[in-house]
Amino acid sequence: MNDSFIAYIQQLELIAFFSGFPLVYAIVQVLAGSFQNKNSLVNRFASSLTYAYALIGLLFLGFQLKKLYPNYSISGINAHVQHPYLVIWALTAMLFCIPMLAKRGRLALFHSLIFLIPIIPDLFKGNASGANFLQNDMKVYGSSLILNVTVIIVIVAISYLLSFLKKQLRSD
Amino acid sequence: MKRLNNKLLLIILLIISGYGIISSCTHKDQVLPAAVSTAVKITRGNHVHLPGLTAGDSTQWKFDKVHSAVNWSTPFLEVGANLTGKFNQFGVADLSNNTKLQNYSVAGQPLPDTSWAFYESQPEKSHFAGYVQINTINTGEPGRDGGCLVTTLATTKIVPGTQNLTVTNIAQIKTTSVTFDPAANDYIVVFNFTWQGGLASPITQSITGKLTYVPKALVPSGAYSDFGLRFEFQINKADYGIISTETADKIDIVINANFNNK
Repeated sequence: MNDSFIAYIQQLELIAFFSGFPLVYAIVQVLAGSFQNKNSLVNRFASSLTYAYALIGLLFLGFQLKKLYPNYSISGINAHVQHPYLVIWALTAMLFCIPMLAKRGRLALFHSLIFLIPIIPDLFKGNASGANFLQNDMKVYGSSLILNVTVIIVIVAISYLLSFLKKQLRSD
Repeated sequence: MKRLNNKLLLIILLIISGYGIISSCTHKDQVLPAAVSTAVKITRGNHVHLPGLTAGDSTQWKFDKVHSAVNWSTPFLEVGANLTGKFNQFGVADLSNNTKLQNYSVAGQPLPDTSWAFYESQPEKSHFAGYVQINTINTGEPGRDGGCLVTTLATTKIVPGTQNLTVTNIAQIKTTSVTFDPAANDYIVVFNFTWQGGLASPITQSITGKLTYVPKALVPSGAYSDFGLRFEFQINKADYGIISTETADKIDIVINANFNNK
């Protein structure tokens, strides 16, 4: 890993987009398990998790393109991308919009757990700079939770809207 | 079993998140960075510049008249935008003892421009004296400069080949004190301004101006060094018997003087 400041910023970006997903996933799954098909809203959230994750991947791609603008050359990308493997991994999150993968929520969970890993070492750094790193991580992690919750709410709202429109079309 | 795994995952993630939040909480107010200082940053060096006339002696600084200027500006008709002009002939020589006040039949500087000294960090040692030839006023309109302005300023027309340093044709300055400007990287200069103007004899007034030092630096060719002095002040032309509504009484004067050690 490149330990430059830019590399650290990119690591924070990755955490900001993806690290909140595991907790959101766990909460939704536990709620869905508790209600056991009695609550369609919770089930809708559970079935929308992978699509929300794919949308997060798409948002991350948009963010990277915005940062690259207007230099989309290979050299520009090389200069910008400090964690190439992690970034490629992050972009593969978009694949979860494919129906075959969309049914595999666990796969999305494992996919997103990778982005929690950079936080773990910072939890155990006892010195002052470690505390600053952890503070940064937690702020970004909090933002990630908000982003993931917002995205899944948007996905559920869209799915409800589509269902409503389908019903309307059928009744016509 | 699956639900149990989800609960376990939730518990682990909550523990990690909770531990992270608690660990990152220092219970201290975040100290904001200090506000940017709005105070003027005053930095002064220790340059000392003394005059001389020996060509090639880099310790002696020569007045670069060709690249210096004495400019003035005042509102046209007392209310309009500024009317501006300059004086073509001026020098850094002390004429205050009156023995040098005469016509000089020379094309160049009539007197050595050596009546000055500048100490960047010891302003009390700095001093300068200088003059302008009033009839060399230049507003860019030959008809006015050699015509009505000569009458208005109570002087005589230019005689080609003659430097007119007679009492009716010169305005001179001579410093009485130079001190640091506490509010800027400049100097406050108190000086005597002497001019006859439209009066029967010259009068001297004590005026305060602002002097800015442009530090010594090598010229782009690297052949020699140059430093500059910019001196700004204001006079009231009515005090010197110049009665004219063509311009306002207050006249701003800016002197840009360059010196080199060629």
